[in-house]
Order: sequence, then structure tokens, then C-alpha cells
Amino acid sequence: MSGRRTAFEIYWEILVFCRTPQSFTAIINRCDLNSKTGQEYLRFLVEKGYIVEVAEGDRIRYVATERAGEYTALFSSLYRKLFDAPPRFKL
Amino acid sequence: MHESALARFRSEIRHFYVITIANIVFAALVMAFGISVIVGEAVSMYETFSTAQYVIYSPVVLFIALVAALTGFRWLLTSVRVFEGIEMIKGDLDGMGGEVPDEALTRLIVSMLSHYRDNRATIRTMILVCTLGGICSFLLGLAVSLEHLSVSPDGISFTINNYLVIPFMLLTLGVALVSLASSYYFSRFANVWDERLDEIEESEALLKETLETDRR
Repeated sequence: MSGRRTAFEIYWEILVFCRTPQSFTAIINRCDLNSKTGQEYLRFLVEKGYIVEVAEGDRIRYVATERAGEYTALFSSLYRKLFDAPPRFKL
Repeated sequence: MHESALARFRSEIRHFYVITIANIVFAALVMAFGISVIVGEAVSMYETFSTAQYVIYSPVVLFIALVAALTGFRWLLTSVRVFEGIEMIKGDLDGMGGEVPDEALTRLIVSMLSHYRDNRATIRTMILVCTLGGICSFLLGLAVSLEHLSVSPDGISFTINNYLVIPFMLLTLGVALVSLASSYYFSRFANVWDERLDEIEESEALLKETLETDRR
């Protein structure tokens, strides 16, 4: 997914993708981020306890914690709510 | 809730896709129409100055044709840019069939919102260009259909070539109607998506609160 996204949309994307352990490279590729912004987003999520770093051999992988579920569920419900009402014109 | 949101999202994406395709087709028609008239006028100009024949070219028709060709070209480029994004979203949605998981639907909604954010200004331009394209093609049809036009202090007199009137008027009327309908639907879609972006901005406070609450 690319295009102009808000930080909250990027957080949601990272958290959903990290339901299974993911490498840093996979995350930035999937979420279309450069490595600098990718690090910033991941650092924030790790600090807040939404993601934990897991060592697999000599590699670090990132996994979403249970807390992430609360945010992703709220995010999905808010975005789907946009389509609760039909547009005010006939299609 | 998911089913109705999915049905509405699907319906909006399909309609937006159809309007964008109609725009591409008619933008190409306006451009082709303008170019064909420019070529015809260029031949008339050449004959006026290089042969003994007395052929008159019309600067008014030439000017309208030039505006139509340029408007059509601009219209085509903007339509294609918007079309590419919407085609990708529609392709993903159709590829999922009837059953679209919640998460996939949310991802598509996010994609559509970011596509709209990227092309907000373009869509606003398209609304204007569609209207201008319609007016240009209509004027061009009128101008080309005129066989003679004279403006004097006594009044305006003109004669119309009957053989040219019907096909040109039908074509230009069709293009003008589609342009105006596109412009109407684009402005409606733009208003709806603007409202959705505002709604999301309002919800961001709640997302921020949820995300930044430290409960470790």
C-alpha cells in the first residue's frame, strides 16, 4: 500500500502485518516505508508495547503483542463506519 | 455492519471506475475532434495563401479547436492518473470475490483514502476540465456547423450547413452531456470523500488516545 497515509494508518498496517514475526526489511517493504521512517514507527510501537522484538538466531524479528488487537479493532471499526451511511446522491 | 459497508464500498468503487473510464473515452474524443478540426483548418490556411483558390479559414474555429485539443489532452492525462489507482483497488476488491475479510476491507478503504488524498487536487481540476471540455466540444460543433457568419451593426446573420449539423450536434451534445454528468458525479464523490477525510481526522484523537495510553 502506498500513497499519502496518516501515521495511524501506517501503525495499523505494521501491527496487522506483524501478527506473525517479521523482519525489519519485510516490514518496510510491505508498508512502503524508507528505513529511517520505518525505524521511527517501529521504535514508537516497541516503546508503547504494541510490538516486541524477538531474537531468532542472529536475526531480530518483530511481533505484535495482544495490546495491538485493541488498536487494530478500533481502527477497523472507525474506517468501516465511514460506509455506514450511503452517499447523499443517487449512484 | 460489515456486509453493508462492503456493499456500499463496492458500489462506490464500481461507479467511480465507470465514470473515470467514460472520462478517458470522451477526453480522447474531444482531443481527436479538436485535432481533426485543426488539421482541416491548417489545410484551409495553406490553400488560402498558396493557391489561387479563395478558401477562407476561420481563426475562431481554429482557436476553439486548439483549446479543445489541449483541454482533451490535459483531461486525458488527469483521468488516466486517477484511473490507475482506482483500477488497482477495484482489481483487488474483485479478486477477493464475494467474501471479503474485515481486515482486507479496511485495507482497501485505507488505499482508497490515500488514493483520494494523493489525487484530491487532480479530481478538483477534473471537475473544471470536464465542464470546460463539454463547453468546448459544444462550441466547436456549433462553430464547425456554421457555413457563414457575419456580425454587423445591423445584426448577426448566419447560415448552417444542414449536412454537418446533425452528426456534429449529436456528437457534441453527447460529449457535453457526459462531461457535465462526469463533472457532477466527480464533485459529488469529492464532497463525500472530503467528508470522510474530515470524519477520519476527528477519529484520530481517539486513535491517538488509544495508541499513546501506556498501560505496561
